[in-house]
Amino acid sequence: MFFLNFSLAEFAAFFGAVSAVTVALYLLDRSRRRQVVATLRFWAASDRPPEMRRRKKIQQPWSLLLQLAGMLLLLVALGQLRWGSPERATRDHVLILDTSAWMAARTAGGTLLDEAKRDAAAYLRAVPAKDRVMLVRADALATPATRFESSRKTVEEALRASRAGASALNIEQALDFARQVQRLEGRLAGEVVFVGAGRISESESPSLAAIPNLRVLPTAAVPENCGLRKIGLRRTPDDPLRWEILVTVRNYGTRPRTLPVGLYFGNAVIGSAMVPLKPGEERSAAFSYRTKAGGWLEARIEAEDALAEDNRAVLELPAPRLLRVLVYSAEPDLLRPLFAGNPLVEAVYRPPAAFDPAARADIFVLDRFSPPAAPEGGTVWIEPPLASSPVRVRSVTKNVRLTRWTSEHELGAGLHSQGLRLDEAEVYSAAPGDIAVAECETGPIILARPGRFKTVVFGFHPVRSPLRYELTTPLVFANVLRWMEPGIFRRWELSGGSAGTVTLALDKAVPQEEIRVVTDHDRPLPFTVQGNVVRFFAGAPQTVRVNTREHEYVYSLTLPEVAEAVWEPPRQAKRGIPPAAAGGPASRDIWQALALAGALVLVIEWLLFGRGRFGSARLRLFPWRTAETGAPARRKAS
Amino acid sequence: MATAPLIERDFLEKLERMTIRWRKSFQGLVGGHNRSRFPGAGQEFFDHRHFHHGDDLRAVNWRAYLRLEKLFLKLFQVEPRVPVRLLLDTSESMATGASSKFDYARRLAAALCYIGLVRLDSIVVHPFAASLGDPFLSTGGRHRLAPTVEFLSQLSPGGRTSYLNVSKEFITRYAQRGVAIVLSDFLDDAGCERPLQYLADFGHELLLLQVWAEEDREPPWEGELELVDAETGARLEMAFGPAARENYVRSFDAFSRSLQELAARTGGRYVGLPTSMPIEEAVFGPLVRMKAIE
Repeated sequence: MFFLNFSLAEFAAFFGAVSAVTVALYLLDRSRRRQVVATLRFWAASDRPPEMRRRKKIQQPWSLLLQLAGMLLLLVALGQLRWGSPERATRDHVLILDTSAWMAARTAGGTLLDEAKRDAAAYLRAVPAKDRVMLVRADALATPATRFESSRKTVEEALRASRAGASALNIEQALDFARQVQRLEGRLAGEVVFVGAGRISESESPSLAAIPNLRVLPTAAVPENCGLRKIGLRRTPDDPLRWEILVTVRNYGTRPRTLPVGLYFGNAVIGSAMVPLKPGEERSAAFSYRTKAGGWLEARIEAEDALAEDNRAVLELPAPRLLRVLVYSAEPDLLRPLFAGNPLVEAVYRPPAAFDPAARADIFVLDRFSPPAAPEGGTVWIEPPLASSPVRVRSVTKNVRLTRWTSEHELGAGLHSQGLRLDEAEVYSAAPGDIAVAECETGPIILARPGRFKTVVFGFHPVRSPLRYELTTPLVFANVLRWMEPGIFRRWELSGGSAGTVTLALDKAVPQEEIRVVTDHDRPLPFTVQGNVVRFFAGAPQTVRVNTREHEYVYSLTLPEVAEAVWEPPRQAKRGIPPAAAGGPASRDIWQALALAGALVLVIEWLLFGRGRFGSARLRLFPWRTAETGAPARRKAS
Repeated sequence: MATAPLIERDFLEKLERMTIRWRKSFQGLVGGHNRSRFPGAGQEFFDHRHFHHGDDLRAVNWRAYLRLEKLFLKLFQVEPRVPVRLLLDTSESMATGASSKFDYARRLAAALCYIGLVRLDSIVVHPFAASLGDPFLSTGGRHRLAPTVEFLSQLSPGGRTSYLNVSKEFITRYAQRGVAIVLSDFLDDAGCERPLQYLADFGHELLLLQVWAEEDREPPWEGELELVDAETGARLEMAFGPAARENYVRSFDAFSRSLQELAARTGGRYVGLPTSMPIEEAVFGPLVRMKAIE
């Protein structure tokens, strides 16, 4: 006989507490109560029996004993007392199969996963036939493959269907999950069995000391492997067509290796390096490549090892996009220096007479010229004619002093120069929603208007005025171009890595609403932001884009996540496959009978002792009792 | 906050046909509810006789004189005018219990007064506890119920009961015998039987209406009790169980029986009324059966 839910100490503690409460309530119930009555004459007459004269603490010991017995039976039922030997009880085992990326490593007899499956099947054969087993596939997430099943066939089918995943093992989460499902099931917990290589991340330090029923079936083979860890690409700041490429490799094996790393673009070799690696060492090789074209970049380890999946990674390089600026100016040489300094800008200059409304460009610049029809795109107007200005001109002022820049807006970001003087400037009337970029005493002289096609109007010529000698002029134009076409100027970084949890450190803290994390199918992915660190989880190989206002980070998570360390199971954990269980009768649940017996005892106690305590309630509930028995005088009177 | 009325209008309408009854013939009065054999001042015609010198000319039957040219005098039946006095217990013991005996007694008193008012009887209401309180004369017809109800509403329970004092004062104050309706729980540590016997011996007809709460007769409590007498403040500690309850009920019933025997012995009547019994049921049930009213 044994308890399913409680240990003996827990049961004793619970029963002690319940008994104490029962005795306390009993004594409280029978403590002396003060009662004001109409007269004492009948009470004095009723106080005849000698046993009632003396006040006793426990007047009805049988009542107390019955209450305690009832409580005991209910508590025993709650503890799920079972009839039979604990060894014969049916148990619930959780079989955790390591399906991390490392389990795809090849060994002499197949893969590590095949070896683990064989061990798991052997364990299934060893556990008693009536025991139930749940199969849990564990990589970065613990996923139950079956419920608690007594059918071995179902579990074996789920075992056979298991495949190695792309992420590393999270052993702590898997073991926690196993313990929780055993607790929630509310039956006799069996073993938590871990089958696999148990490779975990170096940062993971599981606290598993408190698992008494843990069994470990480790895979015997320890294959040699080297693999790509990550690839980082970004454009060089001074040359947008040049890529800086960083390939990181690691030696997971026990022997030193020298790895040949090759880099291919469009199937042509663009770089190679020999990387010497000590056991457990991780090193990076840097490459540089300039191209205007988009295509596939492939990094490859030119050597055979146990895990082929991490020997090759492919990333898509996008073709760089340039900003097309169409400048209509009678004096193009004045404006040329403003656009020539930016490698992302491709400026085309045309005289005003050659204006073509069908011409296509990202931004149009109209220098002292008003076209017959508005261009289809963002437009920068420089000193527009008064009659056809896109913004109402309030006045034309001479000897203007520039007093204020709207530096809180991105159009005025970094502009602080004060006291600049202009010979003449148009002062505009700002409409609601307009942004005054620069102002003099009488009003805005550079005005921006958001909309489908953004518009910026300069009330003076920046190059024909004294402003041409100021650093302010190229900065204003840089801000204007960035505001009108932010996508082109967004900084762009590409990384190749492994699936799992990705941590991205931004240059500066960005509000969460300005961050978007999407997959390559533009499906949003949950993420967290803590300061300037963004974290998200990709459970499967895929491409993930993290967009902020100024940056775009592209993660090509195609590499398997191979963990660096090997988990050391606790010393008290059992190892190996247990001997096959002997057959015999299983233990039997008797809590239902105990619960009924407990309830019955409490009902008997109430019938024998409890009813009298509710005399007043009874009188109210059954008034005819009073009518019948209450008035001998009335009977006689009638 | 408006309080509940002491007596409901529907109930009053049902009381319209009732009359307070008594059995005795009282010396010097035309008593009982038998038709009077004596002519005198009254409302109902009784007989004629020849006119004699000095008779009241207003009672001459002038129609008969016009027809017969003889003077005949109309005689009227004397109305019974037996004094009815209602003694209402206002001691502290009447306030004990989950349902107040005092409220119950007040409502019953109001009902009896209304019955008297309808029949143009006069009822003197006397609250009492340790002594007789100030009387209130309920008279003047059914429309004079409001002052009676107001008087009853203003009463509050308090003090010890002393039937001996009350009996002495009653006998001293009222030399004229009559009906004494006692509405009380009759719980007096000094005993109420002997004082009530004095009243009966003096010539009063007793109508004893014993009101009790359910817990007065069968206490619902059990276990260790510290009992406090509501009137005297005396204390008694005891363990109370089923056997003790049985003894208690037996004692209470014996007490009720002794009151009943006293009433029977003195030519009076006794009615026991638990507060759980509705007033209407009490009036049309036990009181009618005992011919206290009809």
